[in-house]
Amino acid sequence: MIGSSKNRDHSMAPGRLANVVIDISIFVLATAGTYLAQFMDRPITAVLIFLMGVIAIGARSGVYSGVVAALTASFVYNFFLSEPVFMFGVSTADEIVPLIAFNVCAIAAGALAGRLADSAKAARAAERRSRFLLQVSGELQQAISASDVAEITRRLLPLERLVDLEIYIHRDGVLQRSGKEGHVPDALTALLADNTSGQTPSPFRAHVLNASNGEHGIVKFFMAPKQRGDSELPDLQALANLLALAVDRCLLLERATEAAAMQRSEELKTAILSSVSHDLRTPLTAIEAAASSLRSFRSTLSDAQKDTMLDTINEQCSRLNRYTANLLDMGRIQSGISEKLLSEVDIAEILGVVLNSARQLFPDRGITKDLRTPFALVRANPAMLEQVIFNVLENALVHGASDHPVVVRLDAHEESAVLEIADSGPGIAPADRTHIFERFYRAGDRFHRRGSGLGLYIAKGFIDAFGGTISARSLTENGTGTGVTIELPLVATAAEPEQDAL
Amino acid sequence: MKILIVDDEPAIVGALTPVLSAQGHDISSAETVHDALAAAVKSEFDLVLLDLGLPDGDGIEIIAKLRELTGASIIVLSARHLEQDKIRALDEGADDYVDKPFGIGELLARLRVAQRRREVVDGSLNDEFVSDQLYMHFRRHEVRLFGEEVKLSPKEFALLEVLCRNGGQVATQRKLLIAGWNDPHADGQYLRSYIALLRQKLEFDSSEPALILTEPGVGYRLSIQHNPVR
Repeated sequence: MIGSSKNRDHSMAPGRLANVVIDISIFVLATAGTYLAQFMDRPITAVLIFLMGVIAIGARSGVYSGVVAALTASFVYNFFLSEPVFMFGVSTADEIVPLIAFNVCAIAAGALAGRLADSAKAARAAERRSRFLLQVSGELQQAISASDVAEITRRLLPLERLVDLEIYIHRDGVLQRSGKEGHVPDALTALLADNTSGQTPSPFRAHVLNASNGEHGIVKFFMAPKQRGDSELPDLQALANLLALAVDRCLLLERATEAAAMQRSEELKTAILSSVSHDLRTPLTAIEAAASSLRSFRSTLSDAQKDTMLDTINEQCSRLNRYTANLLDMGRIQSGISEKLLSEVDIAEILGVVLNSARQLFPDRGITKDLRTPFALVRANPAMLEQVIFNVLENALVHGASDHPVVVRLDAHEESAVLEIADSGPGIAPADRTHIFERFYRAGDRFHRRGSGLGLYIAKGFIDAFGGTISARSLTENGTGTGVTIELPLVATAAEPEQDAL
Repeated sequence: MKILIVDDEPAIVGALTPVLSAQGHDISSAETVHDALAAAVKSEFDLVLLDLGLPDGDGIEIIAKLRELTGASIIVLSARHLEQDKIRALDEGADDYVDKPFGIGELLARLRVAQRRREVVDGSLNDEFVSDQLYMHFRRHEVRLFGEEVKLSPKEFALLEVLCRNGGQVATQRKLLIAGWNDPHADGQYLRSYIALLRQKLEFDSSEPALILTEPGVGYRLSIQHNPVR
């Protein structure tokens, strides 16, 4: 197989062979016509027919063929057709002028017609190339990352002999093959690497990608093997420049995106620092004050005062504990919650756990249950779901009106479980409503902040990870009362447990 | 009880030692896996309070070794959100866990449960579970709630037996699946359904259970324990 493919590579292409056969046929026909005209004693006609053949061949096959045809025609005319036949030279002085004229005309006509054909062909090729460059530059507008650049260009290939390309980009001190994992240590390795998308190693040309601020990398253009008579290569430098521009734009875009992300992370850091300094320091200050007072004034404090201080220490410790748990949960949301942590969970069961602890923590507050389904299976992490429901319920208990119960409603719709926790508090101002699920957001008066501003953010982060939604709405037209609704996709329930006899 | 506290945080050891001593316990402490094993070889303990994050290793690794060395109850101290660690520790042979940070009241309650279990472990709990509200005779297949007989299916009975035998301490989902289905990888949905059935029969309000508590992500805990009339 390999031998035969090699043979084919070096033999003449079939199209080209046909062309030569046609040219020779034209020449033979013209010679025959000339001979006939000569035979009928029409020398002018004979010469014109021969000339026509030469022009036809030049126009069809270019300068090279045209000149060869003209020289051959001169030889044939001189040797076979003009007197004396089968001899060079002329028998009479009258013969020499037409002969010279014919020779000059034949050569000039062949060459001119050939040049015309060649430049038409070149113009078509040039047009094809510039159309290709235009198309590449148009398509490259869509590229948003450097790895798109090679991919988009590859889709427009092949152009003439250019069949494939690879782009290597300098990043963090190494050359990365765009669109592929991994990197190559240096440019030489990149150049020596085989084209991975072709079966056989192909010849290539490499160009440096020059951009606004130095070089970005290199591009390797892979060619089909050269064949005789193939047109020259397209202008690879122009293509490389286009690619360099696109890569340049993408890298700038990436840098801008990174800068925006840095900016956001700076803002987050500031928010965390201000939150930590407030929410950690406040309880610590209270604990420190209570503990040091107990130590210094042990003998003068009444038992009731001592109890108050001890209670303060306990309460502030739980507050610290809740806060650090919130910060940890925030970290878990940021680093992503793995699907491995999720399992099938019954919301009704978790709700029972939350209600138990909420009733212990808020013994004076009423909580009304409205359970419209005995169970609702969803895909979640049980401990995180407990945290979500607790955060929302705690919010309702803290901000709701103390003389009205908080209403907890669980319902199973066709495809989702819906848990709504509603309070009759002052409500959330419309301006705040879109922000309450944001990190460190506290609605209302900043001087009386309660909570860390993380509870609902964590609820949303976890619910998002479970593929559900959480939203808040006002329950009345005047904006009082808040209902927070958690909606999670239901998991298909397996068959009821197999009945085992009582 | 002779208690070994394994924790590398001096503040925790320092706070627990006087309180537990005042309760009449005999307290030793170890800061590392190595010291803990050495202490367990040297003397017999009734209970080990084990912190899982130790400087020279994972506390979970020594649970099995402690089990071989001593008959001590093991209570693991663990952070709330590390359910997987708790499950592994319990499966390795720990008896119970307490979430950190904990109130001293909570810890003392867990210690009392462990102590009571040690006192009755070779005694009457072999045959029956006795408490004010729930009575269960394991061989006679008898369950009474406030004296009233309750009919249970064999699976419900098997699950309740595990809960009662672990009364006051957590029973992992794995343990319950083995008891009910002989297969630790059986579908947890079956277990949930049967626990729901048990709750309907035994709880005052099955939507807010007070007897069979859910430990999210870990398992279930019977809130009461064996309390034989002496």
